[in-house]
Amino acid sequence: MNYVSHKTSGQNQISPAAFWGVLSVASAIDVGAGWLLRQPGFGTHARIFFALLPIPANLVLVAVIVRRIRRLDEFLRQAHLEAVAIAFLLTGLAVFVYGYLQKAQAVPPLNVGIVWIFMAAFYGLGYAIAMRHYR
Amino acid sequence: MKNRLRVLRAEKDWTQAQLAECVGISRQAVIAVENGKYDPALPLAFKLARAFGKTVEEVFLWEEGNDSH
Repeated sequence: MNYVSHKTSGQNQISPAAFWGVLSVASAIDVGAGWLLRQPGFGTHARIFFALLPIPANLVLVAVIVRRIRRLDEFLRQAHLEAVAIAFLLTGLAVFVYGYLQKAQAVPPLNVGIVWIFMAAFYGLGYAIAMRHYR
Repeated sequence: MKNRLRVLRAEKDWTQAQLAECVGISRQAVIAVENGKYDPALPLAFKLARAFGKTVEEVFLWEEGNDSH
């Protein structure tokens, strides 16, 4: 190659292996905490402890994701911003509509634990829309 | 805003991936800028121009009323 590489903002990135490692550990703790909470025989304090158990690992995951986003180039940051905006609005709309359906007694009470799944799905959709727009 | 990235890249015989690596951005960013779908901020515009040994004005062409996507 006849060009000189510049020092990039992409250096010192958290490796994909580290990201997936943190994600795996956080997910394992989430699943483990959920399993412990389904077991009978634990007192209130223990159950509260199990419920809060996922927080540290997930905070690390948040830090890793924020760090990765800060190291993206300006174009990808814009695409991710649009994805977040779309996910935020669609999740709000979905929860709003579900709330009204609940009032109409057409659906059972919402399990707030699954709201993040909607957010993740809408985030993926939003990212696909943004990338399609800029292609 | 129009640009001459594709032509300049062809002159250098660089791939989009090579230009992206040279400037320190993603290949998606190169594609979006080349296709005129994304206008880079000034620092990136300078980096892209300097990768070709050109000034910003030689690479990016401002056209009045053509700044929306």
